[in-house]
Amino acid sequence: MTPSLPGLVLGLSASILSSACATAASPAKARPGGEQPATEVLFVRAERLIVRPGVELEGAQVVVRDGRIAAVGKDLAVPEGARELAAPYVCAAYLDPWGALGLAADARVDSATTAGTRAADGVDTYGNKELRLETLRAGVTCVRVQAGASARVSGLGAVLRVAPGLSPAEAILAAESALAMSVGLSANAPNQGPSFDFVDGQLVQRESSARGMDLFDRVGDIDRVVTAIEGGRSYLQSKIEHKHELAEWQKKITEKETELDKEFKKAKKDREKEEKDAKEKGKKFEEKKYKEDKRPQPPRYDEDNEVLGRVANGELPLVVQVHRTAELRGLLAATAKHDRLRLLVAGGSEAMNCSATLVERGVPVIVMPALVGEGAVDELDGADLTLAARLAKAGVEVLIGSGGGSAAASRDLPLLAQIAVGNGWTREAAFAALTVGAARALDVERSIGTVERGKSAELLLLEGEPLTNAGRVKYVISAGRVVLTPETK
Amino acid sequence: MFTILIASGLLAAAPERPLAIHADKARLADGKVLEDAWVVIEDGKISSVRSGGEAPEDSAVLRHTGWISSGLVALHAYAGTPRAELRDTTRTMLPEARIAWALDPARPEVADCLREGITSLLVTPARQSLVGGAGAVLKTAGGTIVSREAQLSLGFAAMSYVSNRYPTSFQAGLAELERLLEKPSGLLEKAKEGELPVLFEVSERSDVMRALAFAKQQELRGALSGAEWTGELAKSVKESGLSVVLPPIGLGEERRALRAVLSLAQEGVPFGFGLDAPLSHPASLRLAAALCVREGLAADQAWRALSSEAARIAGVEAQLGALAEGQQADVVLWSGDPLELTSSVQAVYVDGRRAYTAEGR
Repeated sequence: MTPSLPGLVLGLSASILSSACATAASPAKARPGGEQPATEVLFVRAERLIVRPGVELEGAQVVVRDGRIAAVGKDLAVPEGARELAAPYVCAAYLDPWGALGLAADARVDSATTAGTRAADGVDTYGNKELRLETLRAGVTCVRVQAGASARVSGLGAVLRVAPGLSPAEAILAAESALAMSVGLSANAPNQGPSFDFVDGQLVQRESSARGMDLFDRVGDIDRVVTAIEGGRSYLQSKIEHKHELAEWQKKITEKETELDKEFKKAKKDREKEEKDAKEKGKKFEEKKYKEDKRPQPPRYDEDNEVLGRVANGELPLVVQVHRTAELRGLLAATAKHDRLRLLVAGGSEAMNCSATLVERGVPVIVMPALVGEGAVDELDGADLTLAARLAKAGVEVLIGSGGGSAAASRDLPLLAQIAVGNGWTREAAFAALTVGAARALDVERSIGTVERGKSAELLLLEGEPLTNAGRVKYVISAGRVVLTPETK
Repeated sequence: MFTILIASGLLAAAPERPLAIHADKARLADGKVLEDAWVVIEDGKISSVRSGGEAPEDSAVLRHTGWISSGLVALHAYAGTPRAELRDTTRTMLPEARIAWALDPARPEVADCLREGITSLLVTPARQSLVGGAGAVLKTAGGTIVSREAQLSLGFAAMSYVSNRYPTSFQAGLAELERLLEKPSGLLEKAKEGELPVLFEVSERSDVMRALAFAKQQELRGALSGAEWTGELAKSVKESGLSVVLPPIGLGEERRALRAVLSLAQEGVPFGFGLDAPLSHPASLRLAAALCVREGLAADQAWRALSSEAARIAGVEAQLGALAEGQQADVVLWSGDPLELTSSVQAVYVDGRRAYTAEGR
């Protein structure tokens, strides 16, 4: 019914490539729909500047140039020609570590994704303009998205900028951000047929009904995750072994060549003699074979294992959506020996039962403070709004995500965080989770998450303290541009 | 968060002594904020609300660091009844049915509502009937039924019609309703006389228009319930004199629905929030208000929709829904402003008795 992802991937990646080239070639133009020139210098005055959680400056300024934060401090001079903005509070913009905005709807619900599927290839920078503005108005400028959100293996995620009208190159902040998988998520009524929802105008199979499953399916799920990681690890090992074998082979070849060089005259004579003998006897002449001629073969290229190998090696985090104690415990036990693996749990409704292991292994949990009513997916039966607070109290690193189920959900990310605060968490921790915490967990801390020099300018100018009703968003700066003003409708 | 200072001799006078609660701030019925607030509770009722001064002599004093307000009133709830008893699968018209007969206050979803600061629920018949009978107002602690005949539910949405039972069309349905109201008896008569408000269950824009026309023709009063974008017809609704019960507004709600709520407020149409609990989480009541506030609804209006206006729509405004003298003592102690989602419920009093406390949670 919907076009398959591979087709989409081809089309989109081609367009991404071409526009990326265009932007690189002529940085001054080629921004379809961009309202502000990229070169505009911004001078932001803050009555209170939250540099990073716990570091605040009174009466500070921020200079934004070429999309980046060029200076942060007090008593900064206004650069010539700079556009001046002011607000009572200025802080880093929020990042949704578990969202869906910016991904084409059919890529999101693709059920044929594998580890090598890249969400960046399913990015749609044109849709949902209204929703994008609403999301900016809520203070969220970046979202981590995932193709195949309802598949067992969703593939490589991407961190996207939300602002409408950005070029694809600007819209994709990080094209490779964590591999995502899921375990569990059965339906309440496993025997009912598939049911469908309209998501952003697309008919998609509802996740809960797509996942009728029993205990063995769940155990099998964990096995699937572990087998995949182990497969990736052995692939990586064979790649490394091949590298060494190749080096060794090259060394041997060199040695042999030197040896042959040395005895070149004799070898030449021998060869000529052999050739002559063969001719006389009417035989076919065969060149002498050396055992060094056999070049070691690399492991067959496998795009899934390429990704899984990086995951097993800790180069990319692995986000696993898992809720119930049994599955989570199984997952933690089965992955324990992979000491380089950087695991993140998404959901974790019953994660409190494994909090000690999560702390010990340093596994963060992306909590969605879900307002679950009757009839939800049964994995969410254990969901509780106090989860974030309880996990944090137990020492687990807590992040807040909007669940990846709908593009509209990221807009309410700050409210989700506020709900968690209303249920026992601290506002400071919630703010940290929405900014630097999420950025760190997704390996984008170098570009976003705090108001520090050199980072991409993702800033909120607020009327009051963040995460309060008074803290309404006045201006939003993303990729160094003013993407939302009080006049934006 | 709060401490009870027990004066000597408390034990002897325990049941009769007034309880004086001091809070930093109070949200009053009109949404205004009172600083340095004293709320005195006597015999299950609020005997005074004032700013400053001292506690009345001989009262038990509770000092609360945070806010105090009346309990929240949730409209259109399904909590407190076995679900099967909210609807009848065979009969379309149940003009004499009363939800009060099916109420079971011990059901766990009622306590879930209490924990979120909701002290009264207007429990409503399911929307699958043409005439669903009377909703009832239930306290979330103590099991008191405040009103056994709060609203008469009339179905104007497509889901009120089922293909295998008569009537199967809007026109036939309207004709049946007209026939019933020609020589009304029982609850229908009360509705016709204006004693009992009518709850028009609607869903689409056309349902709203049909209900408005019917209300005008039959001179009925009451509220429209369940249509997200009712506010886009705010002018007509205002003319009709009907109120609006909003369907649950949750995360990911379209901005259009929120703008429509603002239109209602702008036009001066009274409205309250429906909950549908346990189908939706009880925390979604306050979330709905927060979403509207974020969209630009004034805080006092949002607060009224959660309390006094909702109580008025449920027809129990004389008894509850306001932090005011003479009202039943349903009060909530919050860690901060109840309109901030970051504020939490610290304690709930229903009819002057402590029904819930967050300590040790």
